[in-house]
Amino acid sequence: MMADFASRMWHPVRVLPFLLPVSAAIAQTDTSALQWLQRIYSASEKLSYAGTFVYQQGQRVETSRIVHVVDSSGPHERLEALDGVPREIVRSGDEVVCYLPASMTVKIDKQPGRRPFPAILSEQLKDVSENYTVKKGEIERVGGYSCQVLTLEPRDRMRYGHRLWADLSTGMLLRAKTFNEKNELLEQFAFTQIKIGGAISRDQLKARYFRQSKDWRVEDSGAIRANLAESGWTIRSKPPGFRTIAELIRTVGGTEGVGHIVLSDGLAAISVFIEPATSKRPVPHAGLARQGAINVYVRPVGDYWVTVVGEAPAESVKYVANAVEYHK
Amino acid sequence: MKEKLSAIIDGELEGDVHAQLNHLRSDPELRAAWDTYHLIGDALRGHACPEIAPRVISRLREEPTVLAPLRTRSTVKRLGRYGMYAAASAAAVAIVVWTAFPAWHEPQLDGSSVATTEVPSENLVVSEEVENYLLAHQPYSHVSAMQGVAPYMRSVAEERRAADK
Repeated sequence: MMADFASRMWHPVRVLPFLLPVSAAIAQTDTSALQWLQRIYSASEKLSYAGTFVYQQGQRVETSRIVHVVDSSGPHERLEALDGVPREIVRSGDEVVCYLPASMTVKIDKQPGRRPFPAILSEQLKDVSENYTVKKGEIERVGGYSCQVLTLEPRDRMRYGHRLWADLSTGMLLRAKTFNEKNELLEQFAFTQIKIGGAISRDQLKARYFRQSKDWRVEDSGAIRANLAESGWTIRSKPPGFRTIAELIRTVGGTEGVGHIVLSDGLAAISVFIEPATSKRPVPHAGLARQGAINVYVRPVGDYWVTVVGEAPAESVKYVANAVEYHK
Repeated sequence: MKEKLSAIIDGELEGDVHAQLNHLRSDPELRAAWDTYHLIGDALRGHACPEIAPRVISRLREEPTVLAPLRTRSTVKRLGRYGMYAAASAAAVAIVVWTAFPAWHEPQLDGSSVATTEVPSENLVVSEEVENYLLAHQPYSHVSAMQGVAPYMRSVAEERRAADK
């Protein structure tokens, strides 16, 4: 059964057409390494699995249980934090629902206009190969599975490096580490136990807090596509290799009408949030916050807050924040 | 065997590490020793939280012999590397290490001590707001493309550091 599954997942004819434009564009990156990246993306979309993983960031470690089931309607997913503050996240298609029992809040988010898989894939791989040198490494074991190691070295200081471990037979990503320019580990995701393929009960996808949450506060992001340039907001220049992949208007933490622009270099994403200052939240001083691979930079632009969040070096995040302009 | 444990932690064990690790998993006493070594390492590097420190001290009192192989070396520097080796070793072992510190993140939930000494408090991004932004940002994270909702784990890690522009 597993072998069947693996051969369905990893069929050269299915994979190669996406790769042709990419391999022609970039000679430096190993094509077979890019094929591996492609396998990882496909696996995350098409495999059913259930397991336990840890997220480690500095001295912090959080254990979570994840269930991912793919059926005719697409992927369905449930993530439950096992350590610390209880949280549960359920994704179905483009909709993500977060249950936060500590604050008795349900947060609902949708990604409007998200291009379906695999349409975004060849574009994404092309961007990755232009901004990173992708190489195949050794075969190493993770959680009992033999894995292909992949390294993604950044071509400049505007992005972080990555090391990925993907299951040899299915392409499932079992460990991912992110490094800064000094090659220091910033964060990692690693499965400690996983069952790939086979029958996974749909019961495991049911939100534990679904019933309880009936009386909770519901925050719907109400995200819709938007053209923020029409309302006067532009990003004067972007860090090398980054381009705009989404422009939305949404509700963030109860504040309506927040502008949200997403930039990506094919791998790392940087989000720009724009919202008016209020009496409750007066115009901020500029400031930087960091958490693992995520940098957050806040900057006042006129009477607005501009908050930039991204899994990119502080330099890139500040670059984007300082390039945000408002012209009425 | 405890000598070997120390060598595993320091990444210096030659030969069949996996056999040793299996041994470690099946032997409660060795696991306790393993936990202790890591507690010591963290305490030495100043990473242990206030709740852990008394545990370390009581373990030190109870088990002076455990320390012996460590004391004779430049302990702090060597233990400092443990994180890398632990991360690089089998995930099954990593979970033993990681689950040994359930309270690790707690002092960092109120991570403002670093920030307040560096900048005025109004410069700080309030953590709840950061969490909201992170949740909105996660679907676009590269890790989301590869691991689905896994990166949502980040949104609750509230350790943060503020600095001037």
